[in-house]
Amino acid sequence: MSDRMKSICFAFALCLVCSVLLTAASTRLKPFQDTNIQTDRKKNILMAISLIDSTRKYKAAEIDRLYNENIFKYFVDQTGTIVDQTAALDTAQDKFLPIYLAMDKQNMIRSYIIPVETRGLWGKIYGYLALQNDGSTIEGFAVYKHSETPGLGGEIETRWFQKNFVGKKIVDQNSNFMSVSVAKGRALDQVPEEKLPNYVDGISGATLTGQYLTRGLQEILSEYEPTSVRFRQNLLQCRMQTEVPWCEK
Amino acid sequence: MVRKMKIKNNALKIFLQPIWSENPINVQMLGICSALAVTVQLKTAFVMALSMTFVVSCSSFMISLLRKQIPKNIRIIVELSVISTFVILTDEFLSAYFYDISKQLSVFVGLIITNCIVMGRAESFALSNPPHLAFIDGVGNGVGYGSVLLAVAFIRELLGAGKLFGVQVVPDYFYSIGYENAGLLLLAPAAFIIIGLMIWLQKVLTKDRELNR
Repeated sequence: MSDRMKSICFAFALCLVCSVLLTAASTRLKPFQDTNIQTDRKKNILMAISLIDSTRKYKAAEIDRLYNENIFKYFVDQTGTIVDQTAALDTAQDKFLPIYLAMDKQNMIRSYIIPVETRGLWGKIYGYLALQNDGSTIEGFAVYKHSETPGLGGEIETRWFQKNFVGKKIVDQNSNFMSVSVAKGRALDQVPEEKLPNYVDGISGATLTGQYLTRGLQEILSEYEPTSVRFRQNLLQCRMQTEVPWCEK
Repeated sequence: MVRKMKIKNNALKIFLQPIWSENPINVQMLGICSALAVTVQLKTAFVMALSMTFVVSCSSFMISLLRKQIPKNIRIIVELSVISTFVILTDEFLSAYFYDISKQLSVFVGLIITNCIVMGRAESFALSNPPHLAFIDGVGNGVGYGSVLLAVAFIRELLGAGKLFGVQVVPDYFYSIGYENAGLLLLAPAAFIIIGLMIWLQKVLTKDRELNR
């Protein structure tokens, strides 16, 4: 066999062995990884509404329990009405947006959580934005997946950045929709005082990440604006009744 | 008998050399990038050290096993395929069983592929030595790399956060009389400074021996 033939055969055999090994490992480990990802998302939802403490370590079962006790997944239609999954599945899927509701002990909505999926500098940023039931105050923000530069844009996953969002408003002083923006640098130095409730501190060295996040949050929040308006007008006094929320008036 | 002793000594030498006198980070200046990135906490440094030891020893072993079959003209790409297979296996394993740590290590486990230590050992040792010695050499290099990582992480976590393996070790009493964590140590430049000091220390300690030689 010529040398060239030998090289090609060797390369082929090696590729075959390696790919079989990797496929086997990946299919065997996939279920475990999926569970981990699910748990991590639940953890981030709970973190957005401060139900768990980010400094403590939680077992997967603990997170599942907290999640199942407090969080309920629903959908909202274009008018902002909350519907349950079956209703959303019956009709065209894209008209409905997922929403997570956090209930208190009296089964009243304490806050609602919006999944955030937006462009970042290097890839998509995934997270959750929790709003209080007044429809204008941010309860918390959590990022569970991103591909920003570690140490710069990557800081969006840190506690200090996410804490910034707590208590900020998505409306201006006259209750008009404003969204929330990431300032370039410290909000206190950059933004006039009356606008401070709508700005969070930026990350130094990550201006672009901040801009993308600002734009993304604006888009997502305006999609959910009909629901937020209902919360603001106190229309959504939901109660859980036999697994289905009974909402409105 | 004498020969057996010699072989044993040889293996021991191969194991010990990369830990001290031929240390991949402090002496050969390889793998510094990851040493800066994962040494903020002992936990991540420890997992990284284990992953690295696993990858470098297994890939050295495999490459040495195949060394007589590997065609010379495609040898680098063959080495890379073997190395990356082990790296991806490690990455998948971590994300299945140690999700939090794998999230913290993010790209750095994947980047072991590009770590010069692994490739360097494959090229300079595994290709010309029998599998068992290549394996020992790999473990030695992994331990040599890992020990530097752990030493740096120990200093950074202790002085930067007052913790070791995530457990608070600096008592509250210290903080109440005015002690403060050195935030600088949590940043990447601090790792540069610590590694620099360690290289200096090692140079001073080995200088006498080198002069005697």
